[in-house]
Amino acid sequence: MAEAAESPGDPGTATPRPLMRDLKAVGKKFMHVLYPRKSNTLLRDWDLWGPLILCVTLALMLQRGSVDSEKDGGPQFAEVFVIVWFGAVTITLNSKLLGGNISFFQSLCVLGYCILPLTVAMLVCRLVLLAEPGPINFMVRLFVVIVMFAWSIVASTAFLADSQPPNRKALAVYPVFLFYFVISWMILTFTPQ
Amino acid sequence: MKQALVDDTEDVSLDFGNEEELAFRKAKIRHPVATFFHLFFRVSAIITYVGCDWFSRSFVGCFVTVLLLLSFDFWSVKNVTGRLMVGLRWWNQIDEDGKSHWIFEARKVSPNTVAATEAEARVFWLGLIVSPMIWIVFCFSSLFSLKLKWLALVIAGISLQAANLYGYVLCKMGGESDISKVTASFLSQTVFQTACPRDFQKPGLEGLEIHKY
Repeated sequence: MAEAAESPGDPGTATPRPLMRDLKAVGKKFMHVLYPRKSNTLLRDWDLWGPLILCVTLALMLQRGSVDSEKDGGPQFAEVFVIVWFGAVTITLNSKLLGGNISFFQSLCVLGYCILPLTVAMLVCRLVLLAEPGPINFMVRLFVVIVMFAWSIVASTAFLADSQPPNRKALAVYPVFLFYFVISWMILTFTPQ
Repeated sequence: MKQALVDDTEDVSLDFGNEEELAFRKAKIRHPVATFFHLFFRVSAIITYVGCDWFSRSFVGCFVTVLLLLSFDFWSVKNVTGRLMVGLRWWNQIDEDGKSHWIFEARKVSPNTVAATEAEARVFWLGLIVSPMIWIVFCFSSLFSLKLKWLALVIAGISLQAANLYGYVLCKMGGESDISKVTASFLSQTVFQTACPRDFQKPGLEGLEIHKY
C-alpha cells in the first residue's frame, strides 16, 4: 500500500520486492524535496516511509530531557505524532473536497516529505541551543526556522498546487501554510530543561 | 483416497501428477526464514507493547521500538512473506493521467509451478488475522483504562496490520465478491482439512487474477 512502481512483468514467480530499491526511492524523494523542481517523482512513486522517519526524528528531537522519569516527555512525543498525521490527513481531505485530483496517499506523501526542511531546522536549533542563551541565540533560531518554513511551503506547493483547479489554489494552500506554521512554532518555542 | 485406488484398479486412471503435487503440498514449510519473520515482527511488537512497563520505564523508547517493529512487519509481510508463502501480492500504481489504481494479484497455479504448502498457508493466514484482533483488544483496553498516550501507537498498529489483512483478503477473493463464500471455503480449507485436492485449488488461485480498483 505504501509504495508504487511494482514490476508487473514477473507475476508467475514469487520474487520478493527488493529492499534496496525502496530505500533508494526514499532517498531520491528526500533529494527532490531539498531541490524542488517540477518533477513527478514524489507524486508517482509515493511512499510513507520518509514521512514516518521524519515524524519520529522530529518527535524525538522535541523531547525535553527531564530528570523525573514519570513525566518523561510522554504526552509531547505522542502530541507531535498526532499533530503531524492528523494535520496531514485533514489537509488531504480538504484538498479532495475542494475538487483536487490527487490521491489520498500521494498528498500524505508530499506533505510528509516536505517536513524535511523543518526537521533540519530543528536539528540546527538544538545545536544552537547548546550555546549560551540570549537574544542573538533567539535571532539565529528565528532566522533558520523562517527560512526552512518558507522552503517547506515552496516545496509542497510546487507539488500540490497543480492538482487543484486554478480558482481554488489559495484555498488549498492555506491549510498547508497553517500546518507548517504550527510545526515551526513548536520548533521555535522549544527549550530544553 | 488410497483405498479407492486399491479397490477400483480397473476404472481409475492413476493420476500421479496430482498425488505428487498433493504430497508436495503436504510437505513441511518451504520457506522457513520467511515464515519465521512473518511471525517474528508481529509477535515482538505485541510482546514489547504488553511488556513495556517491565522492560523499561521510558515511554518514548517503547513507542519507537513498537513502531519500528510494526513498520518492519508491514514491509516484510506486504513485500516478502505474502509472495513467498502464498503467492499473492498487492500494490498501488499511479498511471500517466495521475489516477491511482490498486492492483491485487494471485499467482497462477499450473502443472509446472506448485501452489503454497498447507502449513505455510495456515501460518500465514492465522498470523495475518489474529494480530489485528489483538491490537483491537489493546485499543479498547487503552481506552477504558484511560492510558490515552498509548492510543496513537495502538491506532498505528491497527492500521498497519489491518491494511495488510485487507490487501491480502482482496487478493484472495479474486473475482469473488461474496465474502461469505470465500470465508466458508477458506475455513474448510485450512481448519477442517478436506482431503479433496480440487478444493484446494479453487478459490482465487486459478489462473492469474489481476483485479484493479
